[in-house]
Amino acid sequence: MDIYSILFWVLSVMAVGCALGVILSRNPVNSVLFLILTFVAISGHYILMNAQFLAVVNMIVYAGAIMVLFLFVIMLMNLNADVEPQKGQMVQLAGVISGGVLFLIILAALKTAATIEVNPTSTDIGLIGNLGKVLFKQYILPFEISSVLFLSAMIGAVVIGKKEPGQDLPRSEEKAVQQ
Amino acid sequence: MNAIIATTVFGILMMFIGLMVNNKKTVTSLAAVFFLGLLGVNIYDLATVPADAPQMMFNNMLRMDHTSMWFNTLMTGCTALYILLMGKEFEKVGTHVAEYFALIFFILCGLYLLSTFNTMLMLFIGIEIMSIPQYILAGSDKRNLKSSEASLKYFLMGAFSTGILLMGITLLYGASRSFNIQDMVSVLHSESLSPLALAGIMFIVVALGFKVSAAPMHTWTPDVYDGTPTAFTAYMATVVKAGVFYAFMRLFHVAFANLGEHWILIIAIIAAATLLVGNVTAVFQQSVKRMLAYSSIAQAGFMLFAVIAVNNTAWNAIMIYAVAYSVATIGVFSVLIKLKDYTYDGFNGLAQKNPFLAFVATIFLFSLAGIPLTGGFMAKYYVLTAVVEQGNLLWLVIFALLMAAISVYYYFRVIIAMYFKTGEPELTSPVTMGDKVMMLVTCAIVILAGIAPQILLSHM
Repeated sequence: MDIYSILFWVLSVMAVGCALGVILSRNPVNSVLFLILTFVAISGHYILMNAQFLAVVNMIVYAGAIMVLFLFVIMLMNLNADVEPQKGQMVQLAGVISGGVLFLIILAALKTAATIEVNPTSTDIGLIGNLGKVLFKQYILPFEISSVLFLSAMIGAVVIGKKEPGQDLPRSEEKAVQQ
Repeated sequence: MNAIIATTVFGILMMFIGLMVNNKKTVTSLAAVFFLGLLGVNIYDLATVPADAPQMMFNNMLRMDHTSMWFNTLMTGCTALYILLMGKEFEKVGTHVAEYFALIFFILCGLYLLSTFNTMLMLFIGIEIMSIPQYILAGSDKRNLKSSEASLKYFLMGAFSTGILLMGITLLYGASRSFNIQDMVSVLHSESLSPLALAGIMFIVVALGFKVSAAPMHTWTPDVYDGTPTAFTAYMATVVKAGVFYAFMRLFHVAFANLGEHWILIIAIIAAATLLVGNVTAVFQQSVKRMLAYSSIAQAGFMLFAVIAVNNTAWNAIMIYAVAYSVATIGVFSVLIKLKDYTYDGFNGLAQKNPFLAFVATIFLFSLAGIPLTGGFMAKYYVLTAVVEQGNLLWLVIFALLMAAISVYYYFRVIIAMYFKTGEPELTSPVTMGDKVMMLVTCAIVILAGIAPQILLSHM
């Protein structure tokens, strides 16, 4: 058992364990913290696969920025067990059955899947230079056209965020007006 | 390719116009001019792409062939018609009129990608470019809580379906080691099919089925279509849906052409379920807008027939169905938006109060029900022919005919309310001369598609 396999197993156990923690923990803040740990483990996997740049970006963007945003949102919404919607027994049963069937299918599909060996000699394949070359040569169109996607998302932020005349005030502001 | 650039540039121009022009009417007129310009660019693209030699672009990311260019042109034409009919109504939705037009330009950009994609990557980006503006348009009427609910519901469900689509693409990539749909068809064969690919195909069926509101992934549709401002529902239910159907067909008829035995029966069952749910539930609706939402589910069931039938007739069928259904539905919505009350009772006595509106609405509803001499009849005829040619699925054809008969009931309920009941329907705005001309043009297209459908196939 070489160092690669040891790292692989440690990271895998960490990723699966933390992912289970995300869905099993009752407190949403704990879920988010577990999710950050899952991302860290996955970043470790990226490094094992020689995708160093991807690992760094995953850490900065997902584990860093997006998860902090998640935490803020959850804290602002003040979620707790009282406001949690109650699901009926039948809905829960249906969820368990369909989720279980999906799990079984993916498990069966992965069991028979052919595995491809990664080439461990090319250690610079995931460096930013090579990534940039692929991105700006082979994948130039998807890269550029994503800008349309982000532009429409930005328009959305403005259109939905700006208040219109005649729009109802949110409840907190209504109270402030009354006082 | 020019069309993709043009629609993006027009979208950005619209945003600047929104910044500089304060008069909403000027913005609407400029937008209408831009949409007609975009139609011109599409016709230019159509003329320059050689009929028998598809152009591969950007390392095989896009495949521009004559059929997809023709589809783009037709859908842009439908969009231009929609803007000319309903552009004025955008002004009543909210203050950001120019942004709404910009978003529709971006939706068209997504549609052009969906009709020409050659890799799964472009399929995904196309679907996302098309979906995100829709989430925004759904929530654009911020004074109405139902609009916000529709937006949030659509966004959350859409995000889940995107996740499922990505999972499917990942599994397919694992099985075929390529994103390119031309490579996939040479790798994926029934004898040596990896279960990964099979699971991937099922994920993609679910995700695309969600986007076209096929049962049992349709549950978002009535609430979202009902809550969205009527001016935007008309677009979401028509051109956008047709675009996703075209992508659906392109993917399954090209990439999974050799695997028919694995997916045809599954989609056939989904189509039957969609027809059943859409038609039967539409019967029990009290609001015409909600009935039209269920009718759009039912029509999606018919359009799924074009996906099931892997032959050339299916391509003709989707072309005619997309145009006939889009034009007729846009027409019905243009009448609906003039009325204050969206329930069936709100239509009572419309024939006495405004005979013109009642007449055009009758033509559009005839087309949706599939009465001969209208585009809807030809569309249904072509999809059913395609499935008959496919063979083995005669039960589905008979079931579809039965369901089409049910659909006549709820469409005619509106006509009966207009002509045989008395009431005082209230209009939101007077029907101007321009409205009348555009509605007559729409009627003419519906009838023309019924009499001479070969016009719609002339550039295939």
